[in-house]
Amino acid sequence: MHRSHKPLTNILLSIAILLLSLMLSLVIQQQFQTQALIPAIFVLAVYLVSLFTDGYVFGFVSVLISVMMVNYAFTFPYFKFNFSIPANAINAVILIVVTLVTSILTTQIKRLEALRLTAEREKMRANLLRAISHDLRTPLTTIYGASSAIIDNYESFSDDQKRQMIEGIREDSFWLNRMVENLLSVTRIDGGGLELIRTPAAVDELIDSVLVKFRKRYPDQEIELSLPDEVCFVPMDATLIEQVLINLLENAMQHAEGMKRLSLGVSTDGDYATFSVADDGCGIEPERLRDIFTGAIPPKAPSADSRPRNAGIGLSVCRTIVRAHGGDIRARNLPEGGAEFSFTLSMKEEP
Amino acid sequence: MSNNRYKLLVIEDERHITTLLCNLAEPEGFQVITAKNCQEGLLMFSSHRPDLIILDLGLPDKDGKEIIRRVREESSVPIIVLSARSDEREKVLSLDLGANDYVTKPFGAAELMARVRSELRAGRKGPEETRLPGGRFVSGDLVIDYDARRVTIAETEIRLTQIEYNIVSLLSQHCGRVLTYTAIIREIWGQSDAGSIKKLQVNMANIRKKLGERPGENRYIANELGVGYRMCRP
Repeated sequence: MHRSHKPLTNILLSIAILLLSLMLSLVIQQQFQTQALIPAIFVLAVYLVSLFTDGYVFGFVSVLISVMMVNYAFTFPYFKFNFSIPANAINAVILIVVTLVTSILTTQIKRLEALRLTAEREKMRANLLRAISHDLRTPLTTIYGASSAIIDNYESFSDDQKRQMIEGIREDSFWLNRMVENLLSVTRIDGGGLELIRTPAAVDELIDSVLVKFRKRYPDQEIELSLPDEVCFVPMDATLIEQVLINLLENAMQHAEGMKRLSLGVSTDGDYATFSVADDGCGIEPERLRDIFTGAIPPKAPSADSRPRNAGIGLSVCRTIVRAHGGDIRARNLPEGGAEFSFTLSMKEEP
Repeated sequence: MSNNRYKLLVIEDERHITTLLCNLAEPEGFQVITAKNCQEGLLMFSSHRPDLIILDLGLPDKDGKEIIRRVREESSVPIIVLSARSDEREKVLSLDLGANDYVTKPFGAAELMARVRSELRAGRKGPEETRLPGGRFVSGDLVIDYDARRVTIAETEIRLTQIEYNIVSLLSQHCGRVLTYTAIIREIWGQSDAGSIKKLQVNMANIRKKLGERPGENRYIANELGVGYRMCRP
């Protein structure tokens, strides 16, 4: 309903609805010999037209057509236009007023719905920004602190100390880079309201690329794979979906305490492909489960000196990306322990 | 040897990155020339005739791709592009314009220098050499016999279709270098249409299966998502 239809679709829809009401009215007139129901049927028709088409135009045109049809076919003299009989004129005026009001109201409702969606997106963005500013400070502190300490007191540190500090700089800048990649992904979706460009991506190549990147960072963690046997293609922005999968795997590495098994699976079912990342770690606290994708900072935020953690940013980015693809992402605790994140994408190519 | 050092031209407007590149390359015996923008870069190119160009695409005066275009009009000097992660399109465009490779920012010292050495080595040999009749390509236990059109792994023959063989052979002739989808399609099928990339990807999936590649391992052929494929250097 939020999506704009093409003008042709709008026209066809309006015609179909009006024709149906006309036929229904004719049948009722034949069967029950009454006209009392007929204006109601056309009010309903105009309501439906306004609901399913874009803007006011189609609703208004339907109003006029309905009034004509009622006057022509269902009021005395039958199958003739006649607005001069007072009863007919009043009938027409009432019908016009009722249908116009309905049409305006339904269009208004659609506007409000669109506004609500924008507001929700704004809120998501604000949450994300808050989480980011919260998270960026920690690594920057390490980088700035360590590098200025090394420059200022170059002689007084031992080689080991210097190495340790430089290692810290490297790790934290690596982390910052991943954060920037996440942000870029989001701006790519929000940026200038451009539509996401989806091209068919081979699932095995996507997974391959994800694993190569993951192993660079966590060479020791095995990942259990389950992929479809056949080569299959899913229309997507592959860089973004790659980001989602990396974020989910990383999220498991950072938060699934006690994890031994980490698995990544893709399964296809008709027109849909489901991607899932599961671990056998500590699971997700039930009170976090509800808003785990919102980017909200968890109540017990990590203390300033703890290792930087993706406080929800990674997951919030995942949801933004998956939703932009028209899919949805879910998190649940597995009955046998651990957590599973999964999302589904349509395999149908866009027209 | 000192007069005979490889000359690298670094075209990059960020001072810190230029310094970093100088610090990386000079200890390895390279002579580094730097330029801050397109105009200066082209000037440096024609006056110094470097052996390799490291090019940042985001330059202040003009698009860095302009340099690739201009340099390619007169020279086949290796060009390595520095690019941001999210710009597959830029990567593909640069490669299709004639850049030899790209390194994604931020890059590790080892990664960049490996690419530089790899390009210089490939430049020395020239692509024709590997095409010679009787030529063989060896990468670990993978052997391609160009004459017999045969591929073996650990002496076991891998049965490839005609097209699959052509793709593997093409990648091996440009080993270490990423070939874009368009470049491969042009070489294998002549021209591309809407379904070409899919066709290529299906063929690649079969090749990787036949070569026994497991996702995430890439012993022989690496897949650069959204860009193309690269035969790994022995």
